[in-house]
Amino acid sequence: MATVLFRIAICSGLVIWPALAEDASALFRDAIQPVLKQQCLGCHGDGQTLAKLDLRTREGMLRGGERGASIVPGDSARSLLFQAVQGADVLQMPPGGKEKRLPEDLIAAIGKWIDGGAPWSEAAAGRKWDYKEEDLWAFRPLKRPHDPALNVDHFIDEKLRQHGLKPAPRAAGPTLIRRATIDLTGLPPTPEEVEAFLKDTSPDAYPKLIERLLASPRYGERWGRHWLDVVRYADTGGYSNDFERPNAWRYRDYVIRSFNADKPYDQFVREQIAGDEMDANNAEYLIAVGFLRAGPWEHTGMSVEAVTRQMFLDDVTHNTAAVFLGLTLGCARCHDHKFDPIPTRDYYRMQAVFSTTEFARPKVPFLKRENTSDLEAGLARMREIERRTQARIHSFDDRVKHLAPDELEELKLYRKHMQLDKESLDRYQPKAFSVSSGPVDGFTDGGPNLKLPERAKYTAPEVRILANGDIHSPGERVEPGVVSAVARYAGLQPPRIESGIAGRRKALAGWIANPANPLTARVMVNRVWQYHFGKGIAADANNFGKMGGKPTHPELLDWLAAYFTDHGWSVKAVHRAIMLSKAYQRGTRHRENDPGNAWLSYYAPRRVEAEVLRDSILAVAGELSPEGGGPGTFPQINEDVARQPRHAMGSVQPAYRPSPLKRLRNRRTIYTFQQRSLVDPMIEVFNGPSLDMSCERREASTVATQAFALFNGKFVHDMALAFAARLEREAGSRKGRVERAFRLAYGRAPDAEEMRLALAHIEKLTREHLTTPPPPKPERKPLVHEITSELTGENFRFTQQEDPVEYEENLHATDAKPETRAFADLALALLNSNEFVYVY
Amino acid sequence: MRNRYAKMAIASPSRREFLFHSGMGLGTVALSALLAQDEARGGVSQPKAPHHRAKARHCIFLLMEGGPSHIDTIDPKPKLETLHMTKFQKERTKFEANMNTGERYYVRSPFRFRRAGKLGIEINDLFESFAGVVDDVCFYRGLQAESVNHPTALYHLNCGNQFGGDPAMGAWVSYGLGTENQNLPSFIVLPDVAYPQGGSANWGNGFLPAHYQGTPLRAEGAPILDMAPPPGVGAARQQVNLDLLNQLNRRHSARHPYHEELAARIESYELAFRMQAEMPGVADIEKESDETKRMYGIGGPDKDADAIGRRCLLARKLVESGVRFVQVIAGGWDSHDYIDKAHGARIRAVDKPLAGLMKDLKRTGLLEETLVVWAGEFGRSPDNGIRRGGEVWGRDHNAAAMPVWLAGGGVKSGQIVGATDEVGLKATEAAHPIRDFHVTLLHLLGLDDSKLRYFHAGREKQFSQTGGELIRELLA
Repeated sequence: MATVLFRIAICSGLVIWPALAEDASALFRDAIQPVLKQQCLGCHGDGQTLAKLDLRTREGMLRGGERGASIVPGDSARSLLFQAVQGADVLQMPPGGKEKRLPEDLIAAIGKWIDGGAPWSEAAAGRKWDYKEEDLWAFRPLKRPHDPALNVDHFIDEKLRQHGLKPAPRAAGPTLIRRATIDLTGLPPTPEEVEAFLKDTSPDAYPKLIERLLASPRYGERWGRHWLDVVRYADTGGYSNDFERPNAWRYRDYVIRSFNADKPYDQFVREQIAGDEMDANNAEYLIAVGFLRAGPWEHTGMSVEAVTRQMFLDDVTHNTAAVFLGLTLGCARCHDHKFDPIPTRDYYRMQAVFSTTEFARPKVPFLKRENTSDLEAGLARMREIERRTQARIHSFDDRVKHLAPDELEELKLYRKHMQLDKESLDRYQPKAFSVSSGPVDGFTDGGPNLKLPERAKYTAPEVRILANGDIHSPGERVEPGVVSAVARYAGLQPPRIESGIAGRRKALAGWIANPANPLTARVMVNRVWQYHFGKGIAADANNFGKMGGKPTHPELLDWLAAYFTDHGWSVKAVHRAIMLSKAYQRGTRHRENDPGNAWLSYYAPRRVEAEVLRDSILAVAGELSPEGGGPGTFPQINEDVARQPRHAMGSVQPAYRPSPLKRLRNRRTIYTFQQRSLVDPMIEVFNGPSLDMSCERREASTVATQAFALFNGKFVHDMALAFAARLEREAGSRKGRVERAFRLAYGRAPDAEEMRLALAHIEKLTREHLTTPPPPKPERKPLVHEITSELTGENFRFTQQEDPVEYEENLHATDAKPETRAFADLALALLNSNEFVYVY
Repeated sequence: MRNRYAKMAIASPSRREFLFHSGMGLGTVALSALLAQDEARGGVSQPKAPHHRAKARHCIFLLMEGGPSHIDTIDPKPKLETLHMTKFQKERTKFEANMNTGERYYVRSPFRFRRAGKLGIEINDLFESFAGVVDDVCFYRGLQAESVNHPTALYHLNCGNQFGGDPAMGAWVSYGLGTENQNLPSFIVLPDVAYPQGGSANWGNGFLPAHYQGTPLRAEGAPILDMAPPPGVGAARQQVNLDLLNQLNRRHSARHPYHEELAARIESYELAFRMQAEMPGVADIEKESDETKRMYGIGGPDKDADAIGRRCLLARKLVESGVRFVQVIAGGWDSHDYIDKAHGARIRAVDKPLAGLMKDLKRTGLLEETLVVWAGEFGRSPDNGIRRGGEVWGRDHNAAAMPVWLAGGGVKSGQIVGATDEVGLKATEAAHPIRDFHVTLLHLLGLDDSKLRYFHAGREKQFSQTGGELIRELLA
């Protein structure tokens, strides 16, 4: 509260200075920082750095400009800044004669601040708020029009009228069912589903379609993936070792379950932020807080404990705000947010909420809802791999003290594999990748980790504002809190947060999940809207601040957000509101002047995401495994990449082992093991999400290497052959098979010309395949890696362990008739075609 | 030299020609849409004007992954001879990594040094060939990294941010300068067989459009993933399938005349197959003379030198073909133990390739227009915890001092800039953080870091993150 008393006003250089604070930090906050902003940064920091001087940071002051350092902390007399404001000799700042000179008390304050060590605390409690109303829209309360007749189209049509635009007519049936099915399930509709929909002439055929899709278990797999994009889900920790997070998969399944069950979003928020604090005996809750640890993180012998701990705190603070509030809170880590009303103090207050959060891997029994069917077999396979590695280690036992350097290197390698595999073994155990408030004795966590203090001796760590985000420069102490602008602009009072160990996150979660928090509902409905239309009502899903795109339809965004909270935070209710609108059902043809489809006069076609592409290929080939859930599976990936050696700190990772069984290998992409250091190259090339930074929106750029993956890649060729074999099974004549192929891939029959082209292709290629036998099945060769020893600088070779389980091969060309192989060529063209990869 | 890419560009069909020749009959609407899209991509398929005049238009970044020791390569510390095996004195800070705790001892360099060039700069005696080119090199002893962890330090050096996910320097440079050869990626990476720690994020496009991402030409297997069809699929069958695909796509485009992206996607297949045709020629170093290959250490007894030499020679060929940014990665420098053997082998492996590259660039005139950078993610410590009875000395990680050299267009060569203290613990003169180095490298390529910005998620982003200052001493 003291800061309020010290508030100063600066008007045209005149400083009203109520009293000089004793504390140099407070001096900085209340006097120095405002004067820097008003008088100095125009030339030395914001936009230009005259004399190469940047006064925006303490670091910049210390570095100084052409004349040298601006400040010598503790010695104002030797500080150029102090000399300049005094107007000593040639250098006078601010420039422009006596009238521009700062008032004496302020000059004295600068001297005092420097003598006090020039602390750089960026708490802005005393700052002047001068944000433009148009930039504060997201912080303002929702406008809730109480007219039950309102709907999505009301708002869209109004804008169309304003802009004199005529909307495109409704899309045709086949287009609609394909659009809705891919939107809600991430898979193309089957020919039977298309047929049933087209036959249904009842007026509610379309609403029934939406209901069927929303009820499909495939829905959670599709929308869960969107959520995992935003939270950066991965099954490993990244960086040097990329250790497995063996139980993270339970969070992935939790997300899918939550979407399928239409869990109220406020509950979904609370569980992920504070599940363990809500009920430490609730398995689902302990799994849910895996959210907090989703980011990349590693601690090694080369890391400083305090630094890696801070890395986690910064990550969780920034991402919690980005994911739920659409705020770029991380910008306020080193300085007050440059564009939004978020002082650094708020950043550290929110960080203090997480300061008692410790990593935990508690025993959490498997739930009935979880798929445990592969645990036993998976464990047996992993144990056998481990046993073989152990045996290799034991082969050195009798001479371990007298090993030559290259033997030592080999031993080091197997020990590294043991260390990595030890984590993998844990994926079959009933544990959760979780957190606790304060350490819980007896909990361990994988890999090298921070020392967990004893519970009995534990006290909540003190949180201080870190100058420039640097742990070496702790400043003013802060208590746990939330983003203050929400109270200021929306009137939602901050929660009372206990200063004890537990309950901090619960309080934060309650504040975020409050219908009166204007950010939460807006951010979520905007995300949902974006995944349906390809762009949000506000363009930047993770940035609702000044620099993010302003909503094109602000009233619609508010109405939809209010609709969301009024309907029990039901995400499915939002889907219905959107998908039953005329706007969603429009055709893609557009002649009107609506660049970028800003006013939604038509439906903008989109390229499907990488996962949808892979899943669709598997689905039409008849190879998609319907099973889901459980530890991540390992898909067929490019063989060169699979067989390439990969670093693990000081050594080499075990080989990539695709799941030997097709039913695991060919699961939907969301169930594949998400390894930060090894992304399936086909997913990567089709603009897969970053596993390190929150992906608010997928890019869909077209690059040449996509053509390589899809047209030359072995996976697609294998699936094309499986597709051809499926056609052979499901249709008789060539004509019948061509028709089936088009219906499976495109959801429609071929026209006469397409039929003619396809049949000619089959004719021509069958002849070619008759005379050109396929190459024989390749032998599986042992994988020998040659690496340079870190110890000796010499090369040494070792053989990667083979998979103990026999590999269930894909259908090979030698087992297919020439005609089937010709159909595989047709299938390859279909899977590569624009109609297959775009949604209309 | 300047006309070489121009010729190549003429030799390959222009966009317009290709569209007519490929019989797509897209019509003018789609064609203009395609050209408009190219415009929207920022003219990625053509060169763009730099911010200021600069000699260098290409960059070859030689990344020595693992953290080469400055003390044992290009910054000898005789003082360590007298301190050898005495207790290491260092101010302990509150925050120490486990690596740095425990008893530590100064370790002398096991290497001999030779004087090279007009200045008589001291470099490791094993740099036999490289010693012959040091007059064209600017040694920089002032650079300081911020992390002593491999992946974070690599991300920092490559992408400007320790946490990964931001665009790599090659992506920024491609974004800033465009490309000179439409048929090749503008940013190519030549990694070891094993990718560096942190993986492909080291050459990612981050938030920049995917066109700017680094394309690795792999050391083993197909140079570009899936560039060739699977075994048994010949060129003729591939062409027939491609023809069918084009026919299906053409009919589809006719049904969706307003969907502009379709033309770009059709074109991407043509570009892919032009790349498929051109890349083997560019990547084929067999046509180079034996003398050239020998110069790079190719075909010699040292297998690593052969492999690195091939990548360095390929780097020259790529630059010659108009590739904007080539990163060569040569790892294995993480010598915690046996530094005599480990660093010895590394230095022998890079000696000829580096010297060969410098000589080759110079004699072809490419050095004038190419910026060459040699650096690891950090340097090494003057000390070590005692290992295995003190017989297997090595050095740990050190971010405060590191070895760097630069050469080529715009660099003031034949000098040493900056200095480290007498034991090599930290840089003391011309000391600059990585961001200043980034600003300087961009400057040498005609780009101004503060102007080379990209608006992403509500923020103007730049390579240096928050701006930095030019290291003027490095500039000619």
